[in-house]
Amino acid sequence: MAPTVKKDRGGKWSSDLVLDLYSNLLTELWEVVSALIGEAILALLFSLAIRKLGEKYPFLNSLEVSEEGFSLEGVREDYRTVAPLEIHRGFQALINQLSHLFSALADGVINKELFPKVFSKVKEAERIISPK
Amino acid sequence: MKLIFKNLNVLRSTINAISTSMEVKEIVEAAGNNLPNLFDFSSFGVFWKEDLLLFLYEEESCPPDFTQEVVKNMINVFSILGEESIPAERITLQEEKRKLRPKQMMMDPKATLKSHLTLPLAAEGEILGCLSLNSDQPNAFDAQDLQFLSVIGYQMAAILKHFQRYSSIKDMATYDTLTGLYNRRSFEERLEVEAQKSFYGGIPISLVMVDIDFFKKVNDTFGHTEGDKVLSKISSILKTSVRKKDTVARYGGEEFILILPEADLEESFIIAERIRRLVENTLFEVGKAQLNLTLSMGISNFPSHRVKSKEELIKMADQALYDAKRGGRNKVCIFARKSSQWTVPT
Repeated sequence: MAPTVKKDRGGKWSSDLVLDLYSNLLTELWEVVSALIGEAILALLFSLAIRKLGEKYPFLNSLEVSEEGFSLEGVREDYRTVAPLEIHRGFQALINQLSHLFSALADGVINKELFPKVFSKVKEAERIISPK
Repeated sequence: MKLIFKNLNVLRSTINAISTSMEVKEIVEAAGNNLPNLFDFSSFGVFWKEDLLLFLYEEESCPPDFTQEVVKNMINVFSILGEESIPAERITLQEEKRKLRPKQMMMDPKATLKSHLTLPLAAEGEILGCLSLNSDQPNAFDAQDLQFLSVIGYQMAAILKHFQRYSSIKDMATYDTLTGLYNRRSFEERLEVEAQKSFYGGIPISLVMVDIDFFKKVNDTFGHTEGDKVLSKISSILKTSVRKKDTVARYGGEEFILILPEADLEESFIIAERIRRLVENTLFEVGKAQLNLTLSMGISNFPSHRVKSKEELIKMADQALYDAKRGGRNKVCIFARKSSQWTVPT
């Protein structure tokens, strides 16, 4: 199923909509992976990935991650100043970095579980947000 | 369903065995003994960062190249997770080989690492190490294996964290924080053990009480921070000047005490005199100045001084130290009941 977010009135993707899209994708990723390796390790991997990408995509540093999950709500205001395409690229890089960490830990075991549920939607999002 | 119940039971007993372990090696063994009932693997490893120890529990037929590959992979994954690279040569490897497979399934001597599950051992946001299941078979592990391993990993990390805390509390209770020497309480404990051994076995034992001459002047002139540096420097001289079996402790302030098991008076005197000369010939950098400092020392010994208790041994070493001070300092004095003493002219 394709992401359920819609374009704003002007026909363009707003930062809020891109954020909603990735919030849903990351929630799904969290649910799948935390069931496999537990919340504490997953939170740790999120933090590692954010630290790695934080310099290139500073808005990712505002993502709050703990064992309870992650939250975008508190920082939504900060994101409004960032271009939707930049948000998309930042989150896409985050998901790629997480996927890289999952591979390092467990070869293909985690990514195999994620592929049908999350990665296909990331590809769909890429197609919708930045059509070539 | 039956299989899941069986696996859950194995998981339960694995966790139970881990929880009741008293040291890292025991944790690995506890897990290693139970894991073959849960997974098909060639080797199981636990890396503990604090002591740079890597324990490997391996199939008997595991070739050395496979082991090396596993070690390399674990260090690599840990470097990614811990964001710090650890040179392989600093890691101590402890291997234990067990028969994990039937004879017909022995590993090929040229077997290589084909699949692995490696998870961080994390507690309270800190990465303490990692654990790893490894196989020479491709796609050896699935999602359920990962779930089970993560449950084991969580339990292991919690116990390791507990060990870490316990070891730092134990360190605080054992060592003097400034000098790193044994503190007075540990000295008393060690003396109790050594004195008992000597008194019952008729084996010699000596005590050397050490005091830095005119140390108060160093503190008054240069301040306590500089004074502390002097204490640390002298502590390291003491530590490196004694035998492996000796105990060096900070007795209080600028006083130190040495337990020299199996040392007669002559040997104790040689050790004490070596230390005295070494300190006398050392230039101490205190603030912007360079100072010469000296030590006074008093020795007591069993059986020479016919002591009956450790308290008496301490009292006699203290009396001999007092005599060294009164005799002009920078001296080693052996306890004497009357006025005759061995001293070294300075």
